[in-house]
Amino acid sequence: MDVRAQIVMVFNLDKCIGCHTCSISCKNIWTDRKGAEYMWWNNVETKPGVGYPKQWENQQRFKGGFVVDGKKLRLKAMGKGPTLLNMFFQPNMPKIEDYYEPFDFDYGNLAGAKDSDDQPVARAFSQISGDDIDEIQGGPNWDDDLSGSQIYAAKDMNLQDKQVVDQYDTMFMQYLPRICNHCLNPACVASCPSRALYKRGEDGIVLVDQNVCKGWRFCTSACPYKKVYFNWQSGKAEKCIFCYPRVESGQCNACAHSCVGRIRYVGVLLYDADGVEASLTGSDDQLVDAQRAHILDPRDPKVQEGARKNGITEQWLEAAVKSPVYTLVKEFGIALPLHPEFRTMPMAYYIPSLSPVLSVFGETHKLLEHGMIPALEKLRVPIGYLASLLAGGNHQVIEKALRKLIALRVFMRGENLGAPVDAAVLSDAGMDRASALKLYRLFTLAGYNERNVIPAQQREDQDPEKRKQQAGFGILEKTRRAK
Amino acid sequence: MLNALIFIALPYAALALLLVVTPLRFCSRRLTWSAYSTQFLERKLLYWGINPWHFGILPILIAHVFAFAFPGLMKGFLGNQTTLLILESLGLALGLFALLGIVLLLLRRANSGMLKQVTFSSDWLLLFLLAFQAGTGVYIGCFMRWGSQWYLYTAVPYLWSIVSFNPQLGYVADFPLVFKLHAACAFLIVALLPFTKLVHMLYLPIDFVKDPPILYRWRSRGNL
Repeated sequence: MDVRAQIVMVFNLDKCIGCHTCSISCKNIWTDRKGAEYMWWNNVETKPGVGYPKQWENQQRFKGGFVVDGKKLRLKAMGKGPTLLNMFFQPNMPKIEDYYEPFDFDYGNLAGAKDSDDQPVARAFSQISGDDIDEIQGGPNWDDDLSGSQIYAAKDMNLQDKQVVDQYDTMFMQYLPRICNHCLNPACVASCPSRALYKRGEDGIVLVDQNVCKGWRFCTSACPYKKVYFNWQSGKAEKCIFCYPRVESGQCNACAHSCVGRIRYVGVLLYDADGVEASLTGSDDQLVDAQRAHILDPRDPKVQEGARKNGITEQWLEAAVKSPVYTLVKEFGIALPLHPEFRTMPMAYYIPSLSPVLSVFGETHKLLEHGMIPALEKLRVPIGYLASLLAGGNHQVIEKALRKLIALRVFMRGENLGAPVDAAVLSDAGMDRASALKLYRLFTLAGYNERNVIPAQQREDQDPEKRKQQAGFGILEKTRRAK
Repeated sequence: MLNALIFIALPYAALALLLVVTPLRFCSRRLTWSAYSTQFLERKLLYWGINPWHFGILPILIAHVFAFAFPGLMKGFLGNQTTLLILESLGLALGLFALLGIVLLLLRRANSGMLKQVTFSSDWLLLFLLAFQAGTGVYIGCFMRWGSQWYLYTAVPYLWSIVSFNPQLGYVADFPLVFKLHAACAFLIVALLPFTKLVHMLYLPIDFVKDPPILYRWRSRGNL
């Protein structure tokens, strides 16, 4: 057993309202600069939809992630030899059109235009070439809220029955906020010929060393989530850094901190680094269980002993015990990895959403037939859709999670109305009263410090007197007078 | 005078710049060590330009360097007429391939609005020099036949005389102008190498070939 710590984010899709506040706070801090205009390290897409970049889930096209080759894993795109031969032209790399041509508007003209009979306008221009754009062809959320669903939502890879999008009464919608998953088996790292990408041992954050990156672009397509971006100006790869300057000091990431719906949870998971690759060689529908098996119980004395042996500090162990992420991912098993079948063992987890609120009008939604809270079988979101998104096609995994969520609602509705429901409602879903109340608290009442349990990096025991002068803002390259 | 410039001043200047500036740049401005790929913004013409260029020029460059390093070996190898013929034809084909590639790369830079933002004077300079170099190389291959043979008895001993600090111009002084331009351009490219994005050719992904796929860095182990 090789116990390591990983800092992990969980998203409660039921509560995401698609306001993009997370994307904006991330953009403002990290990617509002030349070469990075088109990048959204955090983005929120409407599902069903093609997402950002368009069709990122289509691995026939981008060849991201790993595939099983006998008893081993190999990168889907190519091995080391072909990588060396494809360095000059990387065949699978997404192009700017797969994202969108970044644009801005000439606001200066509104105030600075010469006197004229016509009202001055702010024309759109390309942020790359600087040329005027007559008709904007795309944006980061071009299919937001199902707009153009016949064109975009119908192309969603997870949608088995494309006709769902044709009928208003069969249509469903949810949001999918995405950051880098900081995978345990990151394909971007494995594909990098310059060895610029690495996973930090202490907290598992995956980063690009800008000094080492040579701009060979294999990471951009090897990441099956398309969360490594190419900065067209610097000629180097960039990605979500899990706001490490904040997380290192115990603060929450900008995206999670600004989240209006409080849908995000950040905490520590302890995992077993032994045999990660071997456990990813099973069939698609076994992968969620295989992934959960790697997550260790922080209360187990053996795990704690192994953690201490690997240099995990007491503060981190304490955070792991209190981790809301462990509760949601392992204890309740309701938070699921996004597309585990890409076999990178992603470390961002999603609590699947229930269906849209039922309408009380018309024939479509017969309320009494459903009961006040929809039964699992009557959900408008097809189970198969969620299974394709979050469970490698395994319906049972999704049903188990949804059953708990539904039981919790039925239970709490009874509690609030003073008409407690039968205990079987909870026990059928594998919960009891205490665990239901714990989950309820985490979903609704939990404050900042309950949703985010982030231990700081323990710098105190790492020569603090030497580090003191290296912290904070400064000039990276020394001026002549500096010694 | 021209001979002294091309065959003494230029090579020593180029060599000095290469040896001094390259490590300096690696240590102080490593962030700029990149090929500055533009595939993200334009890929259709790039495919037909960059592949022929690299796959054409690399074998030719390696052949030039190899013949310089092991002239005896090459002399024996090329003693056979059939081998010489095959190698000569192959070289010419690769040269034409590379020339086609670099011309396409030049046209591509000139024709894309988006690429203007990532094209600098150093890019133009390199493209023109490399195109000129490939062009003169192909010309020499066509009109001064058996270059792979006479290169061993003229340019190679001359280059050895340069690196042994005893320049012997006798080997190369009487060549036609096109050969001298080819040599001058080669030295110029070597001189520019440490200042431009050409440095990307000085990094080989050896770690990538031998490392395990997932790379970790630990603060506690001092490699972060």
